[in-house]
Amino acid sequence: MSGEPVAVTGLGAVSGFGWGVEELWRGVLSGASAIRDFHRFDHTGYRTHVASEVPDGPALDPEAGGPRLTLADRFALVAAAEALAGARLPERLEGAAAGLFFGSSTGGMFESEQFFAQLVGRPRRAPISLLSAQQPCGPGDAVARAHGVTGPVETIASACASATLALGAALDALRSGEIELALAGGSDSLCRLTFGGFNALRAVDERPCRPFRRERAGMSIGEGAAVLVLESRARAERRGAPVLAWLAGVGASCDAHHMTSPDPQGEGISRAVAAALADAGLAPAAIDFVNLHGTGTPANDSAEARMLARIFGARAPALPATSTKGCVGHFLGAAGAVEALVTVLCLEHGLVHPTPGEGTLDPGLGVDLVVGAPRALPAARRALSTNLAFGGANAACVLLHPEAA
Amino acid sequence: MTRAVVATGLGAVGPWGVGVEALAGCLAQGATRPVVVDRSAGYHAPGGARTALTASGLDLSALVPPASARRMSPPARFAVAALRLALADAGLANADHERTGIVVGTAFGPAFVTEQLLIQLLRQGPEAASPAAFTESVASASAAQMAMAVGARGPNLAITQRETSDLAALAEGARLVATGAAERVLVAAVDEMIPLLHAVLDRFRALARPGADGAEVARPFDRRRDGFLAAEGAAVVVLEAEPDALGRGARPLARLAGVVRGFDASAPAWDWGTGSGPLAATLARGLRRAGVAPGSIDLVVSGASGARRGDRLEAGVLTTLFGQRLPAVVAPKGTVGEPGGAHLAAALLAASGRAIGPTRGFEEPDPELGLRPSVAEKLPAPRRTLVSALASGGAATWVVLDAPEPSPARAV
Repeated sequence: MSGEPVAVTGLGAVSGFGWGVEELWRGVLSGASAIRDFHRFDHTGYRTHVASEVPDGPALDPEAGGPRLTLADRFALVAAAEALAGARLPERLEGAAAGLFFGSSTGGMFESEQFFAQLVGRPRRAPISLLSAQQPCGPGDAVARAHGVTGPVETIASACASATLALGAALDALRSGEIELALAGGSDSLCRLTFGGFNALRAVDERPCRPFRRERAGMSIGEGAAVLVLESRARAERRGAPVLAWLAGVGASCDAHHMTSPDPQGEGISRAVAAALADAGLAPAAIDFVNLHGTGTPANDSAEARMLARIFGARAPALPATSTKGCVGHFLGAAGAVEALVTVLCLEHGLVHPTPGEGTLDPGLGVDLVVGAPRALPAARRALSTNLAFGGANAACVLLHPEAA
Repeated sequence: MTRAVVATGLGAVGPWGVGVEALAGCLAQGATRPVVVDRSAGYHAPGGARTALTASGLDLSALVPPASARRMSPPARFAVAALRLALADAGLANADHERTGIVVGTAFGPAFVTEQLLIQLLRQGPEAASPAAFTESVASASAAQMAMAVGARGPNLAITQRETSDLAALAEGARLVATGAAERVLVAAVDEMIPLLHAVLDRFRALARPGADGAEVARPFDRRRDGFLAAEGAAVVVLEAEPDALGRGARPLARLAGVVRGFDASAPAWDWGTGSGPLAATLARGLRRAGVAPGSIDLVVSGASGARRGDRLEAGVLTTLFGQRLPAVVAPKGTVGEPGGAHLAAALLAASGRAIGPTRGFEEPDPELGLRPSVAEKLPAPRRTLVSALASGGAATWVVLDAPEPSPARAV
């Protein structure tokens, strides 16, 4: 039941490490974390005072690109422009059979909160311009608008699995011939709703998150955007595009178990991984390393460890694994995008980045987490990236080295 | 590999009642009961729209037992109720859903719990925030509740694409069935209308304003149109591969003959654009790919809602595509408003041969549009229906639905 892989020809990212892919890559390799004190809003009274915040940059100037753009729009626009330039594509895509598939959890919620705060105080003065791009589709629509996309434009808002599901929708649209080129990714900004919600769930760590450590006590929220340019093999070859990697398969499933807790046996995410492998036409043995969801919550990391054992069997304890969330926090609706993007870079450089986090590896999990320094895997050709979301939605994708397809 | 996709079940709940028959009755008779929206929170600007088509009084307890309903946001309750009805309609009430996918389209997501959470966080402080409100506030909460209600363990996703969320969800559901990623997909279009959302939409001048007689009327394609009727509810469509459906003796409501998606980059974030030419070109190209000749379409179920610029864009696309040979165009949102799934449900009803009534609210043609919607009480059953939904912000989805084959013993 496998399908053709599609080429990844451009990458763009905005993260707590800065405005660009190079900043992100240097950051994740450094072993340091971008999770720290932050200033986006007053966080007095919350359980934690750390998050991964995108540093100031020219694109945050209210006049840049128009005053109605939200933070999440701005992250997405910068990432998309970088991805298109890297792919050696024009800024305008009217002439291409192009689509856009994004993930976002809250879109312009940060701005909506400002509107709402004014609305409950002085309703007549609350400026509705703050709400002009409130919904999760705001960032994706802004990118499609900026680049003249004429094909399908769709934002998936399935919490933390959104962007991986968007990669799947893009992959199928390319395979079916509906489009030849896709901007796939996601964007989310820090906001009180998400920060406060996870705070209320007691799912946040006071310290920067510690994925797969014995001491892990929850997640750290991040923000940013990641965009991948995807092209059909025919189009990429026709124009001699730089092929950075191949997106070979995406799989999805639902636990149908609980609103917040993953199936403790990791059965749901295992079915998503199995579906992604089948879609890519690969056996588990072909996978060289894994970029795990790795939020740092006790339940998530344990469910993922069970998944590794289910899928990879005896090989699981020796399968290199990493969690990008230890570096840049949880990008929520964009998590799958930044993690797929980092996985592409790991394949390209033959290096798996380390997962920051205090404490010692949880021996009960049996995960071969890369820590301290990057691990050289020059022969790595195939990698897996996983995401698990609220409501039991799971998604996984398989990425290949340029020479592996 | 792709498989032909058919719709085999439909369920809906909304302001007009519980079940597709109630919706059909409402569409036929135009009997809607707008409710005056509570303005006590002070969110509304003075004047403006006063009413909405709400479903808060519905008794859904037979479909969603109170013990589970109390854990759900209002839109999740609508969606699960419509899901039960759709599965019964498809003859799948007791089916196994190990490989069933769920795709939800929602314009605004769970607005009520989101508002509650914002009040808690911004006015009362972080300690006041309810963890349950947070988990129910995500746009995909309805998709999760639907999955848990029936044990649907296939792909599960939610799409938010404003006014085209419903058809975008149908398109993704069809994709998952066509590729075999899911055995069947339960597609939901669901939204709720709360005072905050009503007030915000009205501040954007999106809603129909009271006329001389005080009534707020959505007037699709009418010269005097000034906005849509705010509504809520849910519709669920069961999608299956055609051979599976015929193999189990199901009677399809319609067959998906094509899906076309496009984007109008001229649209601002908060309104419709003016790119009817490029959109029509995208639609024409997509129909060609699907092997659908525009001349074979004999009904358009239009997403026109009474929105000033939205309806102009819709008219521009349809007149460009069809030229002088425009088929009958019906805009059910003149009766049932939006969002809330009724457009999707009405489209399925129409494609399966049921009457969906005239375009209510339309009286005076708009000379700028060059399009008059059908006001006939009953049109001949269509063989091929084009369903449209253009979203503010730029996204567009069209779906072509073919009438079910007269004989189920059709060679594949």
